[in-house]
Amino acid sequence: MSNASTTTTTTTTTTTTTATATSSSSPSTWRQAMPVPRPLQQLFDLVPLITYSANTLPARSPSTTPDQLPTLYVFASDEDARFGAPSFNPSCLKWQTYLKLAGVRFHITPSTNHASPSGALPFLLPARSSPTDSPSPIPSSKLQHYALSRGPTPPPQLTSLRLEAYQALLDLPIRNAWLQSLYLEPAHAALLDELYVAPASSSGWIRASLRSQLRRAAEAEILRTSSSPTAAVADVDAVYAAALEAFEALAGLLAESETGWFFGAAQPTLFDASVFAYTHLMLRYLGPAEEEKGSAQAPFVPARLGVVVGCAGGGELEEHRERMLKRVWGDPPVDREGVRRSIE
Amino acid sequence: MLELHVWGPAFGLASIDAECLATIAYLAQTTPRADYILIQSSPSAVPTHHLPALHDQSTDIWITSFPSITTYLSSHSPTPQTSRSLRADATAYTSFLTLHASPLLALSLYVSSANWATATRPAYSAILPLPLPWTEPPAMRAAMAARAAHLGLSSLDTDTEAEKNLAAEKADAAAGWVQIPPSLRSVIRPRPGVAASLTPEQAARIKLERLVGDVLDVLAEIEWDVPDKQTLALRCLAFAHLALMLLPRLPRPWLREVMTSGRYGGLVDFVHTAQREWFGGDAKLLPWMHPKAASSLGEIVGRFAHGLAQDIPLVGEELRRWWALRRRRGVRTATDAEAEESLTVEEKAAAEMDRRKRESVASRNGGWVQGAGIALLAAVNAGMFFYKGVNGESFWRSAAPFGELVQVWRPPPSTLAGFGAAGAMFSGMLMGEVD
Repeated sequence: MSNASTTTTTTTTTTTTTATATSSSSPSTWRQAMPVPRPLQQLFDLVPLITYSANTLPARSPSTTPDQLPTLYVFASDEDARFGAPSFNPSCLKWQTYLKLAGVRFHITPSTNHASPSGALPFLLPARSSPTDSPSPIPSSKLQHYALSRGPTPPPQLTSLRLEAYQALLDLPIRNAWLQSLYLEPAHAALLDELYVAPASSSGWIRASLRSQLRRAAEAEILRTSSSPTAAVADVDAVYAAALEAFEALAGLLAESETGWFFGAAQPTLFDASVFAYTHLMLRYLGPAEEEKGSAQAPFVPARLGVVVGCAGGGELEEHRERMLKRVWGDPPVDREGVRRSIE
Repeated sequence: MLELHVWGPAFGLASIDAECLATIAYLAQTTPRADYILIQSSPSAVPTHHLPALHDQSTDIWITSFPSITTYLSSHSPTPQTSRSLRADATAYTSFLTLHASPLLALSLYVSSANWATATRPAYSAILPLPLPWTEPPAMRAAMAARAAHLGLSSLDTDTEAEKNLAAEKADAAAGWVQIPPSLRSVIRPRPGVAASLTPEQAARIKLERLVGDVLDVLAEIEWDVPDKQTLALRCLAFAHLALMLLPRLPRPWLREVMTSGRYGGLVDFVHTAQREWFGGDAKLLPWMHPKAASSLGEIVGRFAHGLAQDIPLVGEELRRWWALRRRRGVRTATDAEAEESLTVEEKAAAEMDRRKRESVASRNGGWVQGAGIALLAAVNAGMFFYKGVNGESFWRSAAPFGELVQVWRPPPSTLAGFGAAGAMFSGMLMGEVD
């Protein structure tokens, strides 16, 4: 890589011996002792030895980012990453939201599982104090501690055992419904391709294999955590019914709170961020189909989780999502078209 | 008449499975005894491939899983109106029990090798008709191990660990590494320390106690004994999980020990009270259908054949999916029933025709599968009879054990001591090798 200056052609010495070898003994005697056959000589002359200069590092590589901000690696499109828009993966969005709530300033970088030391996204690469410094990445399990210790406005911490039970709603029925709807519903196949499959590769074969891998993994996960461990196929109706009940329960919990945040907290907490991560993505990606928008007679499809979120309780969850968006991403949330026009 | 298909009784409880136990408890409290019957079953016997399964004979509807059954039953009987926050809490704690309490049960009853071999596997053998203990409990154990996998405590499963070590040794031998003969290993290795003499459960005790504590702390916060403060369905589900933690007599009772350590007295009391009040202390008093009447020999053989077919490498998994989907398609669910209510008379007639056709196809298929199952069973039996294992043992010896510990009589080793006085005389000459 560094010897870009050795762009030479081997026209003088036709064998692979180096210059030092040829200088110690006379080249002419070598030639006479071992003559290179003429066809080979011609072939070697046709193929000059060229060493190309080293490639430059990609523009997004950490060593070239100039300012001293930590980087959060998430699932996101390149464009979303540039504007710091919400990630399309629930787990990534949860931590992205929480870090922003805590007032931590950071870049986001589109990434995949293969980039993560633990195999899971998101993870945070802290800012480097010197150019030779290589900080160790912070996995998502330690991000809360990081945000509380480094953020200027750490969100309040809840210590309620009841929270554990409500957290289980997000980890079991809502997560399973998200997996079922996005990964396994044929209606959302195009969306799955756009979000997870197409960015990974341009080859049709690899995409098809990746798609089936994702589907299998999602189904296995639903079966493993559902109440029927030995079943060969998941009961789709039960998955959606459980999610519907879970959203009703969350809406009921939110209705109890007077502050508009879960458990009556004065400021949004980690639990708010976790709920927002699902409700926002469901409302944005799994909402009613385009042709049904605006019509009151739209049929109720359980796989359209955005509709389920909007209907839960008295619409508390949708209002909660709007409040969170406004607080974390400002108002209007993300006017990317406008930003793009202004850049151009 | 309601038929409830469940896993059979074990450990003095009405069912070995937490969800089935919860469903039985719920049914026993909401439905008169004359209106339902309990059928000992296994997932392969019901068309939905999952227990508990409720079959409403009057409408021919199949309903599976605890939440669906309680919803169905409560919509068909007058239940007191519950407040919104009570319902929200019930949903949340139901998820919590499924997500966090059942992996603990899986660790204790299924993953832990000692508990599995001495308690759970014999219990399954007692409730399944004969060839099935070879196929169904191992599948159940594998599924439960997957459910508890995220806790990272596979060390409790000493069978798998031993298999891994053996596989590693074989790989080393195949790769040509120098092998230490087994007779020399005890000489070379240092004397085992304290860590080596601990059981896996003792070694992982601190982690286990933390896991159990995390779950029980959340549950202990609730007053389970007051009926109005929780929905009945939630109380049944909590009872089922807690009873299976507390009541089974296991050789490695870590779950029970943590529970009875004094911090969770309320939960222990709740389990004993509920067991006494709901079941009258004896699971046998429930309206069970006689197990012999529940399934014919042909059916059992067909189920066994399915269990075997699922273990075929490569195609087994696909076969299992295909079969499950096929059987489920022929089942009438509550959603189907709702859809049918809105149909006209002509459409209903057409649907009825369709259903009859499906049934006849299903019964023909059933016969075909039974025939294939009997043939397969015969072939496997013949194979087992003629097959001699690597050590010259017949297959029956090396087949996976099940049920009670097998009693094998071996002649006492012939040593010099066996020859009486003469043996004692000669034994001194052989460097004191008296056995």
